[in-house]
Amino acid sequence: MATSTEVDDTAYDEIWREEHRHVVAALARRHGDRGDCEDAAQQAFLAAAESWPSEGVPDRPRAWLIRVASRRLIDQVRADAARREREQRSGLQEHALHGGATEDDHPSEHEETAVADDTVELMLRCCHPSLSPTSRVALTLRAVGGLSTREIAAGFLVPESTMAQRISRARATLSRTGARFSSPTVDELPERITAVRHVVSMIFTEGHQRSSGDEVVDEAFAREAIRLARALHAADPADTENAGLLALLLLTHARTPGRVDGAGRLVPLGQQDRARWDPALIVEGVRLLQECLPAGEVGPFQLQAAVAAVHAEAADVEATDWPQILVLYRMLDRVAPSASTTLALAVATAEVEGPGAGLDVLARIEGDRWHRPHAVRGHLLRRLGDARGAREAFATAARLTRSIPEQRYLNRLLTEMGDDEHDPA
Amino acid sequence: MKYVILIQSNPQPWGHPTSDYLPAYQHQSQETRDRANADFEDMLGELGERGELVGGEALGDPATSRLFRWADGDRVVSDGPYAEGKEHLAGFFLIDVESQERAEQIAEAFSGPGETVELRPVMGGGGDVD
Repeated sequence: MATSTEVDDTAYDEIWREEHRHVVAALARRHGDRGDCEDAAQQAFLAAAESWPSEGVPDRPRAWLIRVASRRLIDQVRADAARREREQRSGLQEHALHGGATEDDHPSEHEETAVADDTVELMLRCCHPSLSPTSRVALTLRAVGGLSTREIAAGFLVPESTMAQRISRARATLSRTGARFSSPTVDELPERITAVRHVVSMIFTEGHQRSSGDEVVDEAFAREAIRLARALHAADPADTENAGLLALLLLTHARTPGRVDGAGRLVPLGQQDRARWDPALIVEGVRLLQECLPAGEVGPFQLQAAVAAVHAEAADVEATDWPQILVLYRMLDRVAPSASTTLALAVATAEVEGPGAGLDVLARIEGDRWHRPHAVRGHLLRRLGDARGAREAFATAARLTRSIPEQRYLNRLLTEMGDDEHDPA
Repeated sequence: MKYVILIQSNPQPWGHPTSDYLPAYQHQSQETRDRANADFEDMLGELGERGELVGGEALGDPATSRLFRWADGDRVVSDGPYAEGKEHLAGFFLIDVESQERAEQIAEAFSGPGETVELRPVMGGGGDVD
């Protein structure tokens, strides 16, 4: 069968160009999800790149590729089905949001841990350092979340083919580095778990901020993130940051019904109707925090969750314990300094020590292309009575933001100010 | 992060790829022009392969456009071009990338002598005012 042992990259490219669509078409006749077929074809070509140089190019490369790709596809379908069945049995899917609240079909602790271990194992592989953060997010949603490529594409507002390409490229990268079917080493584990938590938090934010405009899709992202955070926590309950992440997502998700008003406009935290917040999620989030905070080292997710809990426990905005929030953000600024932490610290400082002190903290943020510091500066200048400075800052923020709802909010502020506030002559 | 890359150009006669019809390219050797076209195709291929290309189109001669305006409360329809400027919108690409840096890298690769490439951020529906 071997016709040549000299197979260089150009030869592969040529075979790929000629055979790729035939292989995918052959698979697609038997299997509905084109993205899966693309993935399987890609894997078959990778297998070819590994075995052909030593064994030679088969007489009928296309038949070889289709055979190998079909086998991969069948393995994938079986693995998906087995995972889904296991999840269904343990009832985890139904209780993804509110946990195992019902008594009758609550999964046994053993079963729950087994599913969680399986999920976490997959997540660790999807968060390999060779992938960009957005590739990790896409691959995690597809491989672990079980969302279809179409749903993921809808969430990110890109064509399905673009998302399919991103996912199969991520898979190919993992295969190339040999990371696809192997777990991280003990040394790699802490960093990888941190990356997994970051990805879960990115998936949640994507859904929570409703970027796709499709509520069903966005809800699916937030729900999926919470399910993954539950799996992380179940797999290692002693990891206080896992608990912190889950608490943060629950406490933030609890506020979702109050974020947008009847006209679809964003409502700032201080003006939200707190009666609309989900009390069950708040209770669970606060309980998780009470368990993990005293347990050991306090990391960034626990601190952010603690801030969310302080907001959740205030009956109204006036009752907010700002000195407590300021302490928490100062701690966050020490353990995980970032521009967004500085921004939050500036807001909390202004609430406790006055707008002037808040502006001093804000001055630490470098660069001026990010719209959020301008918006906060606008609020603080307005409180200091500098209407002209505030208007300029809001106008700059409105110009820089990439969010249509945020721009509408800032433009609305500008209009209101134009009517009510005049600079002292 | 999504961006649109707008190619502002004035090929004479109007045609694509625009560089084939720009005076700035005329004095270059065929070899140089072929290489520039090949680089452009490579970049397009790379965008597709990395899942960064959302879409894009080449546009027809600006003289073939129809303009819809209002004047004194009435709709007035006329023939293009829209602007009598030096350059016209000749085509666009919609990309979705990790960072502003990557977007600038791509826009740079699409630019050439005799035309202007404009990189503009795309607005989205998400956001937060907390």
